[in-house]
Amino acid sequence: MGMQGDFFRLLEAQGYQFGVSGGGSHDQQFTTATTILAFKYRDGVLVAGDRRATAGNMVMYDRTDKVLEIDRHSVMAIAGVPATAYEMVRILEHSFKYYRRTQLQELSFEGKLRAVSKLLKDNVAAALAGTGAVAPIFAGYDFEQETAKIYFYDILGAEFEGVEYAVSGSGSPTIRGILHYVNTWGDQPLSAMTEEQSAVQALRLLTSAAEFDSATGGVNREANLYPVIKLITAKGITTMSEVDLKRHFEVSVSRSI
Amino acid sequence: MYEEPYKWVEAVGNRRQYLDEQFKQGSPVVALTYEAGIVLLTVSKGTPKLYEIYDRLALGGMGHPADLEKLRFSLLEMAHVEGFNRSPSDVTGSRMVKYGIAPVIKQAFEEVFKAPFIVKILLTELGQKAGKETFLVINYDGTFEEGSHCAVLAATKAVEQDMMKLLRAEPGRSLEQAVGAALQAWALGDRLQGQALEADADRGRESQADLASIDVASLHAYFRETVAEKTIECAVLDRAQPGSAKYRALAPDELGRLLPKDVRASLS
Repeated sequence: MGMQGDFFRLLEAQGYQFGVSGGGSHDQQFTTATTILAFKYRDGVLVAGDRRATAGNMVMYDRTDKVLEIDRHSVMAIAGVPATAYEMVRILEHSFKYYRRTQLQELSFEGKLRAVSKLLKDNVAAALAGTGAVAPIFAGYDFEQETAKIYFYDILGAEFEGVEYAVSGSGSPTIRGILHYVNTWGDQPLSAMTEEQSAVQALRLLTSAAEFDSATGGVNREANLYPVIKLITAKGITTMSEVDLKRHFEVSVSRSI
Repeated sequence: MYEEPYKWVEAVGNRRQYLDEQFKQGSPVVALTYEAGIVLLTVSKGTPKLYEIYDRLALGGMGHPADLEKLRFSLLEMAHVEGFNRSPSDVTGSRMVKYGIAPVIKQAFEEVFKAPFIVKILLTELGQKAGKETFLVINYDGTFEEGSHCAVLAATKAVEQDMMKLLRAEPGRSLEQAVGAALQAWALGDRLQGQALEADADRGRESQADLASIDVASLHAYFRETVAEKTIECAVLDRAQPGSAKYRALAPDELGRLLPKDVRASLS
């Protein structure tokens, strides 16, 4: 049967190359992107990310979307070099669709995880050269096990399951501790939280990350700029509207800063 | 022997005759617009005949399953490589047909020493805006036609013309109304093909169906009898579908709710 439905192999056959090291020097400053998180809540998985992209001390962009939909039930949140990360997302998006359309069935959740891992492994040369390191979080709904799941990766492609939550990016050490604290000693574990409670937690976590990490963007109410929050359930992916984000922020986040 | 021009013309003529024979028992395919996009319907035995090609492209086919599969893969490869290298917006039905599969089908048809594709293809494209839908029908010889409201595949041109009479452009038609119209057009096409097969007198027949004389109840009755041991395939390109991929095959329970009452009762 060979590699039926393999879009990446089709691209390679057309001469496409991925993960080629540009041999960047260490004094160059590349754009990177910063705090992302995912945790399981009552109905599924919440994935969130700040909007800032930086190069050294320079804020390059404050409206970056780091939480990207790959298909109807999978999301990849990106931390690292956006150029490589967006390319990976485009490859994955086309790979999953190509598989579904050629094989007339969805790629399994495990197959999707392997595809992410494979791309990261193919990208090792660029990652080690400093021109393409990406450490993403992949979350999606696993129909075989009837549950939403979270996985996080290192830049070499090692894959780890975030049983309750996962974080990545420069602001992640700050919120990792908070997540552990909230999940262990809070009023209720993360997995018991409603959609609204989860969204409030995500906003508070990203606001905390922005407080201690200059490379993480916070909320800018004047510019109507909020983090991106996506929710994955068996029904698919929904993106929290700016109206809801603003309401949650004003009611449950800003007063406690 | 084919180096002489008239022999080649004769060989192509024979090939046309041979191919026409192959489609006589094929199941027609119907596609038409509705308020949220495009609906496609056919009835199949075993292998499916409706497929998702790209975010806004769907395919319906008639003919040999292996040939259809080969061309489907060509379309899938072209669409995905183009969508990745450029943009999904650049993957249009018109480009896929004109510069993609139509020349391939034409070449196969005219190379008389090789086997032709025993296939007719209907490619539908959901426009970026409502009212900008495209329907492309490619014949086994590589010729193609473009329409904007509906299109059908059937054994002969005459049957296709009769089916098209039932599918007038009706902006704002609901999905239920569109499924009903598609079902009637399919039943009419299949019935005419069956009659032609029995009489073996279809060749050269002019379009004959008179709208006033088409009895909806008899079409529904024919549909009920014909689909008993087959599968009704129905898919939509739905503008309201979240995400970039707009294709959705209707599940049996959803399709059941959309079928006309007298058809639904007998199939349940």
